[in-house]
Amino acid sequence: MAAASIEFKGSSFTLSVLHLKTAILADVRADLAKKVAQAPDFFYLVPIVVSIDKLNDDIDYQGIKTLIEEFNFTFVGFTGAISKEQRQLIRECGFSFINMAKANSAKKAVLVEGAVAAKSKEVVATPQRDLYTDKIHRGQIRSGQQVYAKDQNLVVIGSVSAGAEVIADGNIHVYGSLRGRAIAGATGHHKAQIYCQKLEAELVSINGNYWLSESMEEHWASPVYIQLTDNELTSSKLI
Amino acid sequence: MARIIVVTSGKGGVGKTTSSAAIGLGLALKGHKVVLIDFDIGLRNLDLIMGCERRVVYDFVNVINGEATLNQALIKDKRVSSLSILPASQTRDKDALNKENVGKVLEDLGKIYDFIICDSPAGIEAGAMMALYYADEAIITTNPEVSSVRDSDRIIGMLASRSRRAELGLEPIKEHLLLTRYSPKRVAEGEMLSVEDVEDILSIPLLGVIPESQAVLKASNAGEPVILDTESDAGQAYQDVIDRLLGETIDFRFLVAEKKGIFSRMFGG
Repeated sequence: MAAASIEFKGSSFTLSVLHLKTAILADVRADLAKKVAQAPDFFYLVPIVVSIDKLNDDIDYQGIKTLIEEFNFTFVGFTGAISKEQRQLIRECGFSFINMAKANSAKKAVLVEGAVAAKSKEVVATPQRDLYTDKIHRGQIRSGQQVYAKDQNLVVIGSVSAGAEVIADGNIHVYGSLRGRAIAGATGHHKAQIYCQKLEAELVSINGNYWLSESMEEHWASPVYIQLTDNELTSSKLI
Repeated sequence: MARIIVVTSGKGGVGKTTSSAAIGLGLALKGHKVVLIDFDIGLRNLDLIMGCERRVVYDFVNVINGEATLNQALIKDKRVSSLSILPASQTRDKDALNKENVGKVLEDLGKIYDFIICDSPAGIEAGAMMALYYADEAIITTNPEVSSVRDSDRIIGMLASRSRRAELGLEPIKEHLLLTRYSPKRVAEGEMLSVEDVEDILSIPLLGVIPESQAVLKASNAGEPVILDTESDAGQAYQDVIDRLLGETIDFRFLVAEKKGIFSRMFGG
């Protein structure tokens, strides 16, 4: 069992990169202050990678890190160092160096392009749920009411009462309790999902596969999302 | 502008008429001009609860059909002069009302009265729809049990979709939750839904909680609305409802079972 307690896996993330055009920290501080003042909440604790590819030597790595953290960013590491010496220095200061994807070989770029092309073909062939817009319903959906989001996702800001029915060709999101019936992927989308803050539904269905409330015992009254895996409904906790 | 308040529930027997009578009389006792309208055509009850059943000459349907004037049909309450009752017809059915004429009657009453209380019939058919159509506010009367709560949920949906305010895209009907026949003891024993349960399901503001009480049945049979019984917990709870309707903030009472003292336990009180 000891081996199961951790697992290393590679994943890719989108991170914000701060490109420095000068090594003079006072200038950077002034410009950064202006930028952050525009949207302090947006930048708060945002993980940030600092790119130094526009800078020459004499970089105060520790100073940059301290400056970044002054503005409540979460410092991740440096990127864009060209010379071996720079990379060495960064390591010596105890920071990580991150390779940017575009720095990889041209061959890989071609591969990626190919994959994108293949993906876009697929999109043309079968319109995927990603393309769906949202139908937003504000307020509770009461017993006896039915809301259908044709060719759309359905977002309910409120609860769905027992005896009410929500149907969408795409996904269903309920920001409240789901006590009635929810039917996602109604016109045949096996990738459709159902999200709710509290699962107390009479019935949930995705692409024709359904559960009655007795099948929901595991995550009853919890925040849950439900999806189809190998033509079987599965539920997972949201938080 | 008169406030038109419908007392509705979906389910029957939950206390709509009892509540209409208590609230109507309570508002009148505060000095407001109030008219109570019985929309339960064919199953007239409000006159009994108000104790004016022997004074019914003309009724709501007569007025709708132009067979009597409003003044002829309105019965003045003997206890409070600012309260009138417009009784339902016992011999006709719900189809006797139509939107246009009901609207005309409400408009005329609105010129005289501060409050128009519409006692709705049970169900979600034409009669109930007529009672809620012109409402500005709704008192959703609910018993703390699942079927009543679900029916109330249904009627709240109707208020938001089938009323005049919904059709014209005006500000929606103001909803009030009135829990009746509440027994804290049975809630504690898990036999009854709690106030919190019902509020959670219906999510509309709570107007009042009326405890289950012997005084209600006694009052109904005597034709004396229970709000007159100021000794009873139900009467006091209705009094709180009136104050809240008039904009006051009052703590909710009678929500927990009274603990029996040693003496009442010994003597079986």
